[in-house]
Amino acid sequence: MKSKITTVMMVLLAAFITIGGTTSCKSKKRLAKEAAEAEYKSRVDQAIKDLNAILDDETLWSLEEKGARVQTIKDWNLQNAEVDDLLFQVEKKLARERAQKEEQERREREEREKANAADAVLGRAFNSIANAGSASQANRVINETLGMFESPNTPVLIIIKQNAGFNDYDRPTTIEKYLNYVKDQKKATEKVHEIKYNSNGKINEIELIKK
Amino acid sequence: MKKIIATLVIALCVVGSAMAQDGLSPERKQAIDSLALEKVRDLSKYIKIVGSKETPFSEANRVIDRAEELFMSDAEIGVSSLGSNQITYYRVRKYFEHLMRLNYDRVEIEWYNIEYVSDLQRQPDGTYVGVITIFQTFRGYDAEGNMVYKDTTKKDITVYVKRKETQIGGRTIGFWDVLLGDMRVKETTNR
Repeated sequence: MKSKITTVMMVLLAAFITIGGTTSCKSKKRLAKEAAEAEYKSRVDQAIKDLNAILDDETLWSLEEKGARVQTIKDWNLQNAEVDDLLFQVEKKLARERAQKEEQERREREEREKANAADAVLGRAFNSIANAGSASQANRVINETLGMFESPNTPVLIIIKQNAGFNDYDRPTTIEKYLNYVKDQKKATEKVHEIKYNSNGKINEIELIKK
Repeated sequence: MKKIIATLVIALCVVGSAMAQDGLSPERKQAIDSLALEKVRDLSKYIKIVGSKETPFSEANRVIDRAEELFMSDAEIGVSSLGSNQITYYRVRKYFEHLMRLNYDRVEIEWYNIEYVSDLQRQPDGTYVGVITIFQTFRGYDAEGNMVYKDTTKKDITVYVKRKETQIGGRTIGFWDVLLGDMRVKETTNR
């Protein structure tokens, strides 16, 4: 009798272990599946939110940061129609922004090169006028230099002091008067600080600063 | 901590009131001091150019225009000579025309020891007024190159510096307008 009871107990135990183990395995898989689905949903939501923010210019990200974000979303490979559509729109927008940025950088580079060239040319002209051997030689350089300007009356601002982003100016003059001043005083004590051009590439305003 | 904050507040009030009285930081004040001195030095160059017999008439007239712009509209310049105790005061343009017509074959005019005798002081209307003194040595030569006249004159020039505004390229530019007032003869010697 005792032996029978032991056998029944053993069979029950084996059955319990078997059934219990199967149930536990099924539960783990379900949990993992649920977790994966939750993560997928979270990524889709995040992707939609980020992509819409980029499209609506509601982020403070730089162009490079936006590009990196798009790449991360693509790497997730979400295979979601809404995300794919947004990715398409955002990539087009970023391509436009990159082209605009490159164009702006090119223009700024050209302006800088032009300003540096004008700066160097004007610096040499001021020195030539100040150190001219005769009035006629100085007048020749003045006439050549005036050709760079919109008119002989182009305004010239002279900064006498810069203080905490604030400029103190001398009385404004014109480029013709300034060049003659350099000739009369035989000194070029100012250097170019800023130049503005008109649409024809002529200087229409110039700021000088005391050396 | 409270004591430190209180001390800082008092210090800021003292500095603030000192700045408000004069309205300018020492650096900016120095910049306008230098600007006014530079205008006087510019004038000395213009006098030299107009006085030179080698300067063409048209060029001299252009320089007189520039020199006139340095002065207040009613300013006068004093002229003295060793042969007379009288000092004649001319309007700026008349002074330069007189200088052009001097009866020498060559003249040399030199200014030196240009410095403030009375620093720029802020007036109730906001104008800064000061006095700059200069020494001028004048030498006149005849056709043979002999020096026939020489004197040294000490002159005081009143300078006025005022903050003004103008529109340039659609923006308002604040600038310091330096104008020279009367140039008074203080002393003339044969040194």
